[in-house]
Amino acid sequence: MAGENDKFGAMAKQTLPSRSDVLLGGLALLTLSFLRLGPVRADDAAQVKEIAPGVCVHQGRYELQSAANQGDMSNAGFVVGRDAVAVIDTSGSAIMGRRLRAAIRQVTDKPIRYVINTHMHPDHVFGNAAFKEDDPTFVGHYKLARGLMSRSEQYLAASKAMMGAETVEGIEVIPPTLAVQDKTTLDLGGRALILEAQPTAHTDNDLIVTDTATNTVFLGDLLFSVHVPTLDGSIRGWLELINQLKERNAARVVPGHGPHAMELPEAVAAEERYLSTIAKGVRALIEQGKTLEDATRTVGIFERDDWKMFDQYHVRNVTAAFAELEWE
Amino acid sequence: MSGRTNTLNRGAFAAALCLLIAGATVARADETWDSLKKQNFGDRAIQAEDGVVILDAPATAEDAAIVPLTIRVPPSVTQNLKSLYLIIDKNPGPVVAKVTFGPAAGTGGERKFSTRVRVDNFSHVRAVLETEDGTLHMASKFIAAAGGCAAMQPKDPDTENEGLGKLLVKTFPPALSTTPLFDAQVMIKHPNHNGMQLDVNTAKFIPARFVNGMTVKRDGELVFSMESSFSLSTNPNIRFSFGRGKDNALDVAVTDTDGTVFKAQTQPSGS
Repeated sequence: MAGENDKFGAMAKQTLPSRSDVLLGGLALLTLSFLRLGPVRADDAAQVKEIAPGVCVHQGRYELQSAANQGDMSNAGFVVGRDAVAVIDTSGSAIMGRRLRAAIRQVTDKPIRYVINTHMHPDHVFGNAAFKEDDPTFVGHYKLARGLMSRSEQYLAASKAMMGAETVEGIEVIPPTLAVQDKTTLDLGGRALILEAQPTAHTDNDLIVTDTATNTVFLGDLLFSVHVPTLDGSIRGWLELINQLKERNAARVVPGHGPHAMELPEAVAAEERYLSTIAKGVRALIEQGKTLEDATRTVGIFERDDWKMFDQYHVRNVTAAFAELEWE
Repeated sequence: MSGRTNTLNRGAFAAALCLLIAGATVARADETWDSLKKQNFGDRAIQAEDGVVILDAPATAEDAAIVPLTIRVPPSVTQNLKSLYLIIDKNPGPVVAKVTFGPAAGTGGERKFSTRVRVDNFSHVRAVLETEDGTLHMASKFIAAAGGCAAMQPKDPDTENEGLGKLLVKTFPPALSTTPLFDAQVMIKHPNHNGMQLDVNTAKFIPARFVNGMTVKRDGELVFSMESSFSLSTNPNIRFSFGRGKDNALDVAVTDTDGTVFKAQTQPSGS
């Protein structure tokens, strides 16, 4: 649940045109005009930006899922190697998955060999079904299947309630067929992706994906920017992982929610400040014998203007942090 | 046009859905309560919202697995308290807790009882208090549990049984030595499995095992005893007031459905 009915996506943020932007320019403009006029057509290619050679990212909106945004509320990307393509997250509906696939097909005809999910949340996995026709290997953290399958009914019900029966049509819960226990390397032909399973942080099944050719690191929801972080794992684990991320050598990182690409260590600064503020505030109240309700009313409220979706997730974050930290 | 739709937030959505559900099921909701009322209180009259008992609960459950509830009895009510029922109409096993108060529950100020519960659905939550004179008083709130029961799943199943049975008891002495009521808190590390969670690795349901009883004594006298259901949140947390005594040392015993008994004490304080 929770970070789970997540939401997303911002179409408006246009930056300098890259190669794929130029390639897709005409269609992108068309897409944009449709967006302005009304719902997106299912067969429109998703807008993607090439952030490094052969690495493209679609930016999701900063929203809850709805019929209007069709579950387009998290970042999704793909990497093109000499022989094959790997997709990294598939957005929040089969419609969005098909739009992402259409964007890939505008860039390359190479087979889509891998569909990697950075974690279990529906806004990152509910587009998986769109890739079934490619018969790919679905890849995720070894705990992803358990987390997703035990929540799938609720995820499906929430998506249906939020987006409507028509928009959720085609969504299937597809768990990984390749489970990453620790570290795994995938080969796209002269291009290796390194997959690293993480200890409990944003969820208990976060996976980091590194494209070695460009040293681009897909952090999934271990990195939120603009969109307030959502805590569905462990605040202590997440802060510990952020400390490691700051030391990491990466040419660029891709957040699960936020701009197409960012740079370390600045990328994690806001998220670290937010989570530390919560941890510190909650610990202080616990120390003073205050209650969970006290915490939800006061902790971190000055962060409100710095984030989108704050009202939707902040109280839940504080609640989760309190329930965890009161047992320290 | 799409811009307008995009501004729909979860709160608005929850409110809208809540209205829909409330509108469509008013009759059924009443029936649910009518039958719960009959089962638990027979034909006895219940005075609703008469100010003897006050229920604090969020209108929307931000995390349906951890919904904080506080029941308060204002200082203007001076009688001893006999019992308290916490009921969530739409939960499987709607009676969350039955609390029986003893002589050490205290009087002479605002008396409080708080816990955290799981809310399975949009539902009324009720506190029914029996005072010493045998009358019943009720406060209720409607809670929109926007997260549904997805939240029933532990965030980290591999660690949820760590330290099972760890029992922490704290007392919070009032600032003045003349204040007649103390605050205290009991926390127990316990997954409170409701028997409805599927273990996807084995495709079997995780057997129910939850805290079903708690007794708290102050200096040997009963503050309260409680029978509880799996609607208490994981790691049950109870906060309550009790009457000032000589040593104000608490003895707590907690039982679960496996028959395990967990015990803890606090040292004398603030007497």
